[in-house]
Amino acid sequence: MVDLSVNLNGFELQNPIMTASGTYGYADEYNDLIDVSKLGAIVTKAISIEPKKGNSGERLFETYGGMINRIGLENLGIKEFISKKLPILKEKNINFVMNLAGSTVEDYIKAAEIAQNAEIKAIEVNVSCPNVKQGCLEFGTNPNSLGHLTNEIRKIYKGFLIIKLTPNVSDIESLAKSAEDNGADCISAINTLKGLGVKVEITPDKKIKKTFVQGGLSGRCIKPVALSMVRRIKSAVQIPIIGIGGIANIDDVLEFLTVGADAVQIGTENFCHPDVTIKLIKELDSVIDSLNLKSLDELKRKLRDE
Amino acid sequence: MKKNRIGKIKYNKEIAKDTYKLVISSDVEEISSGQFISIYCENKTLRRPFSVADFDNGSITVLYKIKGDGTKYIKNLDENDEIDFLAPLGNTFNFENVNSALLIGAGIGIAPMLFLKKELNKKGIKNHLISGFKDTKEVVEGSDEVVIGGSVLDEIENVVEKVNPDIIYSCGPSIVLKLVTEFGIKNNIKTQVAMEKVMACGIGVCRGCIIELKNGENASVCKDGPVFWGDAVKW
Repeated sequence: MVDLSVNLNGFELQNPIMTASGTYGYADEYNDLIDVSKLGAIVTKAISIEPKKGNSGERLFETYGGMINRIGLENLGIKEFISKKLPILKEKNINFVMNLAGSTVEDYIKAAEIAQNAEIKAIEVNVSCPNVKQGCLEFGTNPNSLGHLTNEIRKIYKGFLIIKLTPNVSDIESLAKSAEDNGADCISAINTLKGLGVKVEITPDKKIKKTFVQGGLSGRCIKPVALSMVRRIKSAVQIPIIGIGGIANIDDVLEFLTVGADAVQIGTENFCHPDVTIKLIKELDSVIDSLNLKSLDELKRKLRDE
Repeated sequence: MKKNRIGKIKYNKEIAKDTYKLVISSDVEEISSGQFISIYCENKTLRRPFSVADFDNGSITVLYKIKGDGTKYIKNLDENDEIDFLAPLGNTFNFENVNSALLIGAGIGIAPMLFLKKELNKKGIKNHLISGFKDTKEVVEGSDEVVIGGSVLDEIENVVEKVNPDIIYSCGPSIVLKLVTEFGIKNNIKTQVAMEKVMACGIGVCRGCIIELKNGENASVCKDGPVFWGDAVKW
């Protein structure tokens, strides 16, 4: 019997396979397709204090090996999440992380208070949404702002605090360090990369039709960027890291574990293969077993040659 | 219940210019007109959604037009090949209190109209399907009336006079659906439109295929739709 469990600084997962924010709804939405309670944890769609309608116009653009989205943080708002979705998560025994997005420090403080009062075990702070014009991007790109924000949230929220970093920065190490120094329990990385989808079509009446979708690039194509970022973060901090970015198969999982991830989140691949997470849990079990190891921790040590 | 399924291809051939008919034998027990399936295409990030054009004892028929890499991949699948799809997805057409229906299909939008026609016939509801195509080579069989070249909408007043419908169902490009809706509002006839949008999850989760409704709310084409009351949509 292989032990796949992970203890991320006190936050327990039955296995390291999580789902990424924005790709999995808020609770049991995927339950028709897989048994969500089998996952390490799901991360909810980003939740803001007030409900948000998100962006108008085209929100998706498929690219080679990925996709660009500009959903614009459409979400039901924190009150409705607590009243409608939280009971489902509890009843169905789904381990989860609440992802929070805000525009100001005050927004995050308010949200952290609500999370604390609702006894939510883990939150992931989205400081890196590239799809809203104003707001959280600054927290994700400036180590001082990020440190201040993390510190303010930490004062209020006693649960497991994950800071999700954006790759759209030049110095990811100092951002990760700043989060760690100010009380974060864990770093998750990466969020989407800034990207522009362009389509130029020539219509039958010889006119040029142009489409532009500016948003966040995700999917398999971003994996090398994510691996690089996770490795750099690992060199800068001691706290656990959750690797995210283009994970689609077991090799990808092993690669992220090798460069320093303690758990992983699967995002875009869920759209194509809704059962990918369940498959990865089984395959991870087999890999560990085939190496005559007993646990995920042993596998991590072996992969990192410690 | 919606599920990820593996079916077997029974038929996959060109039936009109750049237009293919795909028949999949599957374990689907129930699927209704308006609903769709989303097909996995190798090396693509997103599945491709297709309206169901017919369903009979587990056999699902969809029609598709060659547009890009996804449909080219499907085109190259052979009989007896396995095919990975999610089904059934989305909502269905509503035919409560309908005695006479006009169905309008523009281009490949004829697909769900064919299935709807079959269901209406089964229920004994009087109906008339008019469809429009760019040229004769593109015509898909099964309509009561076909318009070539011009717009199906050019004929709408004549047809309405003839059929006297209490509802108009339509599928096709957004502009056609908008005009059908406007016609319906002007003439006090209910309209239901089947919409299309680029989608990711197919189950209402990712919020990628959102349209705005007149009441100010967002609706996902994949879960709240693809069928909407025309007059509820903010065009």
